[in-house]
Amino acid sequence: MATSTGRGLVSHDTQKRLQRIAVYLTALLISVFTIVPVYVMVVIAIQSPATTFAGGRVNLLPTEPSLRNFLVLLGSTDTVRYFVNSLVVTLGSTVLSTTIAVAAGYGLTRFDFTGKSLAARAVLFSYMFSPIVLAIPLYVVFSTLGLLNSHFALTLALTAISAPFCIWLMWQYFQTVPIALEESAWVRGASRWRTVRDVVLPVARPGYISAAIFAFAVAWNDFTMARVVMSRDEMYTITVGASLFLDRVNIGWGETMAVSLLISIPPFLIALFLQRYLLQGFSVGGLE
Amino acid sequence: MATSIHLDTVRKEFRTLGNTHVAVDDLSLDIPEGSFTTFVGPSGCGKTTTLRMLAGLETPTSGTVSFGDEDVTDLPPQERNVSMVFQSIALYPHMSVRENIGYGLKVHGVPKAERDERIDEAAAVLQIEEQLEKMPAELSGGQQQRVALGGAFVQDPDVLLLDEPMSDLDAKLKSDLRVEIQRLHQELDTTVVYVTHDQTEAMTMSDHVVLLRDGELAQVDPPKQLFDYPNSEYVAQFIGMPSTNVVDCAVEAGDGGTALVGPGFELSLPAGIDAPTAGRVRLGIRPQYLDVGSDGACRLSVDVEVVETLGTESVVHGRLEDGTSFDVVSDAVDDAVAGDRLDVSFDLANAFVFGEDGETILFGSERAGERSSPAGAGGVTP
Repeated sequence: MATSTGRGLVSHDTQKRLQRIAVYLTALLISVFTIVPVYVMVVIAIQSPATTFAGGRVNLLPTEPSLRNFLVLLGSTDTVRYFVNSLVVTLGSTVLSTTIAVAAGYGLTRFDFTGKSLAARAVLFSYMFSPIVLAIPLYVVFSTLGLLNSHFALTLALTAISAPFCIWLMWQYFQTVPIALEESAWVRGASRWRTVRDVVLPVARPGYISAAIFAFAVAWNDFTMARVVMSRDEMYTITVGASLFLDRVNIGWGETMAVSLLISIPPFLIALFLQRYLLQGFSVGGLE
Repeated sequence: MATSIHLDTVRKEFRTLGNTHVAVDDLSLDIPEGSFTTFVGPSGCGKTTTLRMLAGLETPTSGTVSFGDEDVTDLPPQERNVSMVFQSIALYPHMSVRENIGYGLKVHGVPKAERDERIDEAAAVLQIEEQLEKMPAELSGGQQQRVALGGAFVQDPDVLLLDEPMSDLDAKLKSDLRVEIQRLHQELDTTVVYVTHDQTEAMTMSDHVVLLRDGELAQVDPPKQLFDYPNSEYVAQFIGMPSTNVVDCAVEAGDGGTALVGPGFELSLPAGIDAPTAGRVRLGIRPQYLDVGSDGACRLSVDVEVVETLGTESVVHGRLEDGTSFDVVSDAVDDAVAGDRLDVSFDLANAFVFGEDGETILFGSERAGERSSPAGAGGVTP
């Protein structure tokens, strides 16, 4: 940019055109890397293995869609149970993490207390731990409490991973909610609780929806915690369960891709319906 | 029911990291019921803090605040029948205009039918009937401010507090809303306390003006009184546009009595007035009281730097020969240009003399025998 404007070799319009081409090329390159794997997954999932591997090569242009892979999953694996396990702990952890984040974010922005900045820093610091660092200590804790192999323990473990970031997000978000809104409600006679319900929560909605989406993504995609906390097959979540499919004799690539497709559905739906809130919340958190 | 407000040695300190900042310094004040009182002063003078203590949003460090006979010092905002309009307007973005105005009524459990009736009434007064079903984001700044006003007075408060409600509006809207607010005050049975840094708003709207300086009371008086009898140089300079000219003078004993000697002029004070006979004083004269020409009693010359034409009159910004800046407002200087030397004169009756500590020691009009005492008949008493 700087050189061409200086020398005037390339006109302003040409520059703009080049810029646009560069943007499109980059976008295209990135989409190839994200879309192609998804496409491969979908195609293999909706064809029977016989069709996919017919003629000694992989056919990636679907000619005979079939539900065979899904039927195998339902008939000979515990996919449904795993899926339900995942839903239970994901919902639990999302609700818990978001609730903690809203309460903590509100407290951190609205009250002064000793050790406030220390608490805030500790939150950010704990976010930097990799889940595996927490896994073993949590295993010891849950084992001592006799909570291993329970939805409750996994919910807590997942919340431990997602809560720090959610708290930080809500903390940032509440800083953008003018305190005058609350003061105005107090002066009009509304109690603090009533103000939180009528004013604070509605105004903070984009923030806590973002936090909830994040907590959802952490919990739904979790592998480490579920692997550590759950040791009985019927308690596995879908991610752990699916990863074990390939070890079995009767399950092949087709079924594995089918279960992958199933795993992708909830995040896809959320991205589809809530992306507006996600961007709003994250742009406040300084992530955009 | 309007109520009177009493502040008794109210003090508010803010502590941050070991520093104590005194925002309001032992302020005592009585505001009569039903009056329109304005707190004015530069930013940081404690006016908003005082207002927030009236609302209950801040608790005084010491001293008491009472509404009528009731001590409200420690009452939370919910338990005082006050309404407040905030500088940031603070409309709830997720509620319609109707819900915004009616929120206080809803909190107090007023049934929906009565609520709607009162909201419609308020909207009619403020001319925002068309906007009732819209969301705040769809309104212009002026309309939003009207909605905020509506939300405040629909509750029929004892005390209506306004915290710089117009600071974000343009000049035209400001002058419209000024009239609106005064009309509202006449219709309502409520004590209005208004905070502004804009002396025009303070002068045009209020029954009483409370001028603050660094958390302390500088002067409390009706606007006209404040303009004519400022009790210090600070007050004289703050009130009035453009600001009062202040010139350093030496006091010298002459043949006919005491004389004030300033840059390019000498002004003899008649005998019999209570003024220092030596040392230095400062002479204050409002730009509006200067006449172009040299037939007045006291004459001086101004080097013109900038001329602002306002239509009927012009504001001349200039300097005296020693560099003191000096403004003149006149309708007879249309042809003045930068670099001109302008002879102006004024009558001693319109001048103030300030002592070295900034206190007014002489009102020109006192000397002229128009008035015996500068202090006096104000409803608000410090």
